[in-house]
Amino acid sequence: MLWAALLLAPKPTDSPPIEPRTEPRSEPTLEATQRAVATWALQFTPRVSLAVDAVLMEVLASTRLFGGKRALRDRVWTQGQELGVVQLGWGPTSLAALALARAGIENGFKKPLQTMLDALPMGTLSAVAPHHLSLAHIGCRTLGDIRALPRGGLSRRFDKHLLLALDQAYGLQPEVHEWVTAPEQFQEKLELMARVESAPALLFGARRLLLQMAGWLAARHCGVSAFTLRWAHDSLRAKAAGVGGELTLRTAEPTRDIEHLGRLLAEHLARTELLAAVGELELVALEVQRLECASGSLFMASDAAHPGESSASLQQVLERVAARLGPQRVLRPVVRADHRLDAMCQWHASQTPPAAPSAAPSVAQSVAKGTAKKTNPCTHLPQPTFVLNEPLKLVVRSNRPCFQGPLQLLAGPQRIEGGWWDREGDGNGVSEDGAPSRQEVRDYWVALSRHAGLLWVFQTRLSDSLGGTVRAESGPMGPSADCAGSAWFLHGHFG
Amino acid sequence: MPIAPLDNPLWPEFSDSCAEPPLSAPPRARDALAPAVEAMVWRADQLGSSTSSVLSSGFAELDAQLPGGGWPCGALTEILTAQFSILEWRLLAPSLRPLCESGKWAHRPSIIVIGPAQAPHPPGLRHEGIDERQLIWIQAETPAERLWATEQLLKSNAFGALVAWLPQVRHEQIRRLQVLSAQCKAPVFLVRPITAASESSAAPLRVLARVDPDWCLQVDILKRKGPPLDETLQLSSVPAGLQSVITARLRQPSLLFDLVSDHSIQREAIHHAVGRAAVSAQTDRFTPH
Repeated sequence: MLWAALLLAPKPTDSPPIEPRTEPRSEPTLEATQRAVATWALQFTPRVSLAVDAVLMEVLASTRLFGGKRALRDRVWTQGQELGVVQLGWGPTSLAALALARAGIENGFKKPLQTMLDALPMGTLSAVAPHHLSLAHIGCRTLGDIRALPRGGLSRRFDKHLLLALDQAYGLQPEVHEWVTAPEQFQEKLELMARVESAPALLFGARRLLLQMAGWLAARHCGVSAFTLRWAHDSLRAKAAGVGGELTLRTAEPTRDIEHLGRLLAEHLARTELLAAVGELELVALEVQRLECASGSLFMASDAAHPGESSASLQQVLERVAARLGPQRVLRPVVRADHRLDAMCQWHASQTPPAAPSAAPSVAQSVAKGTAKKTNPCTHLPQPTFVLNEPLKLVVRSNRPCFQGPLQLLAGPQRIEGGWWDREGDGNGVSEDGAPSRQEVRDYWVALSRHAGLLWVFQTRLSDSLGGTVRAESGPMGPSADCAGSAWFLHGHFG
Repeated sequence: MPIAPLDNPLWPEFSDSCAEPPLSAPPRARDALAPAVEAMVWRADQLGSSTSSVLSSGFAELDAQLPGGGWPCGALTEILTAQFSILEWRLLAPSLRPLCESGKWAHRPSIIVIGPAQAPHPPGLRHEGIDERQLIWIQAETPAERLWATEQLLKSNAFGALVAWLPQVRHEQIRRLQVLSAQCKAPVFLVRPITAASESSAAPLRVLARVDPDWCLQVDILKRKGPPLDETLQLSSVPAGLQSVITARLRQPSLLFDLVSDHSIQREAIHHAVGRAAVSAQTDRFTPH
């Protein structure tokens, strides 16, 4: 058995631990901390129980999973400190670990257990506290002193709990624990140490809550895909400020990576403005999904790159970039079956999964097959590789479009005519008869510029250009047609 | 550290190298070094061999001149161009194509473009063999945003190729990116304006590219691990979508340009003399069939 005691309160002194002038606020704070640490500790082992001022956990079965005893200890200590753990104690029994932690000794495996425990002051065992004074009067100072007393007399003069606790601490009697279970919902509050004026400073408090949530998620083998951070302004606030505010974050894939969640929260908090000082934080896990962890390697060094792992971290870095730049600026394309250049491709925020249902049928098929074959072109006609946001009107000099010098038309025309079904406002579900349609009548050409390379230019009637309403009398166009009412536009580059 | 004795095989190698012609003359058996040692010794007159992996550029002439035979992975490659979005995909697509063809789709690496001057057009990229599902476009606008996004992605090391357009960037920022890119497994391309050619840069490979009207890309290698390259490489590059429309007349479009410049003066005169009818006849002539 490998027990860890996570001591929360300051070490008890030799005087009785409970002082009469206890501040009213300190009790709930200790309880809240204890609950927080217990929730967090559930990620290491399901065997977590509570003591008066500590959280106890048995982690022998988990050491391999966390990379050995040393790695586990370091992880417990670094994360535990953030949650308010002041002292760790390790021992073969829970009471021994607790006693060692209270005495300020971390490693209970250096010497035989009996030697270690005998030297500890007797106040380190909670069962001694009711009899502390009488035991002190008969000259006992350490646990070894009590054990030296005859057992019969000890159980007759003091209650049987003392003897039982001693036996359990020394591993002579089995221990009984009431295990902590993870709650169904995660909703934790945190009272901040001081009033926080700026949103980024909330991160320190929020990180404690995130640690708890990560532990809760690990205990339930889940990942979070949406969570809310709420904050409550303290009582000294302006009326306009309201009670508080909240921030809801969503991730593309369920995760419990605390570093990623923390960075994501930091990006969002950096853009948040607090209306008043904040006194309390609350974290709620909104959407929780089952998360399958990658199996650990048999060998300790598990640096083998999994393809899934790299894509997960790409998703994370994209989320972080999207958090700072805005989700509409990290984009994935979806190709549509359309002849019009503008409508051929739509860019969606990358938060949506890569294989969107609105993808072209050919794409969906190949996704369903799992292995897409060689990339099939959408069309066998030329298509540029870069497209201008808005077609650029070209100067026409001696009947010849110019872009950094006169253009040489190489191939064409490719007549694109269509789009009468597509009216402006359709995107919002509002389609009015009066709304101009996105009808286009354009003749596309491949043009060559001496300096700007291969261009994709089009000629169109001026009145029809750029989404204007098509006039009924629009006749055939092209270079041979009447050029007076037409104009040349640059629309893309073969770059 | 004790001085190496003279019978150490390293010493004759160094002394002989001055007399031997470079690049030729396979090492004699006496001078044969362990491959690991050989890889560490780089003579300045040789083309460096990249110890990290490379990605073939898809142009045989270019591969022959690049250290290791391709674009380096885990290092920056600068591409300098007079204008943005006139040649980037033409130059890079042949090397990116293998990324889109191997393995299962779900496991294929992503191609990330940061702050291109114009929107990439996936139907056109499909012609080049680039799958749009692997493409991610990060619309970074300001120089700070571009640098930050590039840095974040370099740190993640979770992409198949990264192309970042950095019109304004200082050399210490490039150095920072170069240090970060050392831990990447994928090639990193920075597209910069041609004015940066005169500035120093920490990128180990710098390439200046121009478009040639005759279906070519002209590439100068400004900096590489090896001797400087004086000649300009002519890489034949026809955009894949245009292959089907090229006729015999279009084999050498530069000749057409000469035609244009010869006739433009005459045509101006005709235009003034006979007006519109002549113009429409002129324009007819430019319709290729």
